[in-house]
Amino acid sequence: MRQQDLIQAEINKCVRCGTCRSVCPVFKAVGRETACARGKITLIGANLKGELPLTEAYVKHVKECTLCGACRANCPNGVDTTRVYAAAREDIAAKQGLPFTASFILKHVLDSGRIMPLAMKWANRLQSIIFKDSSAGQGLLSRFTMPNVGSGRLVPPLAERFFLDLPEVKALDDSAKKTQGAAKVAFYAGCGVNYLMPEVGVASIGVLKRVGVDVVVPSAQVCCGIPAYSMGDMDSARAMALKNLEAFESTDAAFITTSCATCGYALKKLFRELLGDDPKLAARVEAFSKKVRDITELLVDELGFKGDGKNTVNARVTYHDPCHLGRGQGVREAPRVLIAGARGAQLKEMKNPCACCGLGGGLSIANYELSMEIARKKAENIKNSGASIVATACPGCMVHLRDGLHRFGVDVKVAHVVELL
Amino acid sequence: MLDNTVKNELKRIVGEANCSFSREDLICYSYDATNSPHLPDAVVFPSCAGEISLIMKMANAESFPVVPRGAGSGFSGGSLPVRGGVVISTERMKKIIEIDPDNMTAVVEPGVVLWEFQQEVERQGLFYPPDPSSLRFCTIGGNIAECAGGPRAVKYGVTRDYVLGLEVVLPTGEIITTGVRTAKGVVGYDLTRLMVGSEGTLGIVTKATLRLLPLPESTITMLAVFPKLKDAAAAVSAIMRARVIPSTLELMDSTSIRCVEEFAQVGLPMDAQAVLLIEVDGSRAVVDAEAAVVNEVCLANGAVTVRTATGKDEVKDLWKARRAISASLYRIKPNKINEDIVVPRASIPELIEGLQAISSKHGLLIASFGHAGDGNIHVNIMYDKKDTVEAASADKAVVEVFELCLALNGTISGEHGVGIAKARFLELELKPEVIDLMAAIKKAIDPNGVLNPGKIFTDKKSMARADMPGPSDTQ
Repeated sequence: MRQQDLIQAEINKCVRCGTCRSVCPVFKAVGRETACARGKITLIGANLKGELPLTEAYVKHVKECTLCGACRANCPNGVDTTRVYAAAREDIAAKQGLPFTASFILKHVLDSGRIMPLAMKWANRLQSIIFKDSSAGQGLLSRFTMPNVGSGRLVPPLAERFFLDLPEVKALDDSAKKTQGAAKVAFYAGCGVNYLMPEVGVASIGVLKRVGVDVVVPSAQVCCGIPAYSMGDMDSARAMALKNLEAFESTDAAFITTSCATCGYALKKLFRELLGDDPKLAARVEAFSKKVRDITELLVDELGFKGDGKNTVNARVTYHDPCHLGRGQGVREAPRVLIAGARGAQLKEMKNPCACCGLGGGLSIANYELSMEIARKKAENIKNSGASIVATACPGCMVHLRDGLHRFGVDVKVAHVVELL
Repeated sequence: MLDNTVKNELKRIVGEANCSFSREDLICYSYDATNSPHLPDAVVFPSCAGEISLIMKMANAESFPVVPRGAGSGFSGGSLPVRGGVVISTERMKKIIEIDPDNMTAVVEPGVVLWEFQQEVERQGLFYPPDPSSLRFCTIGGNIAECAGGPRAVKYGVTRDYVLGLEVVLPTGEIITTGVRTAKGVVGYDLTRLMVGSEGTLGIVTKATLRLLPLPESTITMLAVFPKLKDAAAAVSAIMRARVIPSTLELMDSTSIRCVEEFAQVGLPMDAQAVLLIEVDGSRAVVDAEAAVVNEVCLANGAVTVRTATGKDEVKDLWKARRAISASLYRIKPNKINEDIVVPRASIPELIEGLQAISSKHGLLIASFGHAGDGNIHVNIMYDKKDTVEAASADKAVVEVFELCLALNGTISGEHGVGIAKARFLELELKPEVIDLMAAIKKAIDPNGVLNPGKIFTDKKSMARADMPGPSDTQ
């Protein structure tokens, strides 16, 4: 295992008090010790010491995790659990390799922003043959059962035109252009916005322009690396981090912003972990990461925007804290300020707004049933809030919330906070 | 080791999915909060008393140990399979069977998490007071087995005061019910009280009838800062003498304050020698009056400030800090010996003085915190296991702490239990004839010694097998 001593030291910090049992969404769904951090940490420790081989069950338990970070945030002993999980995943990937499709997607699709236009055009045509539009209009349902999709799973449609290919976005690539006196903000789209929800990106840029900032969208940006990181493919994750670093360094923007909580977490925190070891990169990463703000954080805290009433919402809105925004970046207030400031919107908190939606850590791929079990609780809390819109700040959460709400028959619309502004 | 016949039979009893022999599962059911693992041979997840009864009968016929387990959050090793065998996890038995607001009782299965139960009864305007630090994840079955206490014990007592009756699977497999569903009941011996706190050695609780109280209308949380530890200790009795029984009266010494502040950052004064976390509860009018008395008494006894927590978040933060002390102490030293001694409340100043003397005599850092209101102080002797000299001093210091506590008419465990952690100190507190009587009771109920063997009593055989760690050594 890479950085074995560091990981071992983290594992040793665990005193097995059991606090993680009270916060882990996976444990709450599974109900067994193997699912909580205390169990995982012990198993990873046993594997590290050579007491437990890399068994199928070991791999299953290690990956039974959304990487939501609740155990880490609540550990009285400060065990950096997610770091231990990442190291274990890396170790598994190194020894067992990645599944072919995963490795193909990581290396060839996500590693470039404008991937294989032809193949994607085909994918676009194919999706109407394979999938049908769901009645809710928030996703696609498979016409027949497919492996890796699962029956009744609501799949987000591929965008007709990817965000980075939109002419108005392409026009913003010119990083040399500068509006007099306006703060320059570089927008990072992320895969969710680029491939699935360009409308979120368009809305983000729209509101930034209304506030009067100069927006650039570097075309050389690629996936943030989180999917690779979750799968333990640290080499790909590092390569992606580096490409993004270079793409954004050339913009001389005052801020780098994104409307994806997960990407924001990667840009702010993970890049340091991935590239910080390299003395040549450390200072560059530091300078880059310091500029990163979630779109809600940027609007409220840096630009003083609290809503301009352009859009009328007229609905009760509840807010779901993405793990990577609330716990991951400590941004909890800004999105709520924006919702409260949207015309006609009434913020109505749900129970446990910061509980994971169930998507993360590759769990929705590794164990879809389990990730839906976690989503069930979320759907229940959303329903009980009495809201008709659930807003959040992460396209990943949006996909999973739509799927979960649809599956459990809860008629609540899912929107990104910026879409309400 | 279990033979295949036993394994197949276990599968038949609880179902294949609720039974595991895999190394991964065994590892995850080998530990509790004492952090001294012992691998079981099997883990089963039964759903009812009937299944547990069948397992117990087989255990007697085939001679294998059975160890009941709730959340594995105990501090004395009660749920550790020190001689291997079958761990019975109550994780699937987590139904709240009924809450009866008219009679103010509830019936629960043992795997119900305390916090979830409290949330449910409080929604109905009811109150179940026991509140160990692990309340968000420990189970009621485990609370009953260990007779869990908590900060509220000062006013409300401990788990045993809230258990009216039990359904228990005896070590020999019979399913019995004990106690009553009424406020009074004196028919026969009080087997309920015998079972509560028996550390899973006399039976496995499969259902519990609990007593509830009306939920107090309001609570005020205060934090009193003392430059001198002794003054804080003296203030504890002074508050009671002023005829206020707080619902919580918790003490943190300077070491605890520093450690926990690092974790929780709730603004505890890093330079104070001690703080008292005090809560009063009851009707609005009573609470306001009592808070005023507490404020006055603390200031008269040397407190420099008394802060009243405003808003839910501040209260939550203070409690989060208090509950995290135990685990956060590991930030100073990798190992600690954690003892939950109790002395009569008025003897706390003497206890504190004695602890300071032991600390300086051995050159060891001793962090003290806990339920000062009921005299239950958690004494944490910090050391590094790898430093053999320090470890040996720590070992000596523990015995001195116990001797001090007993000399002050105290007891060596208020709420953690004996388990394996304190087994070798049993004789310090109990006379041989008392230990013999207890052993005779154990023998009468569990003639073959199959249920949770190697706990409480220090027979030579169990000592050798249990691979005793240090005294209550929690790492």
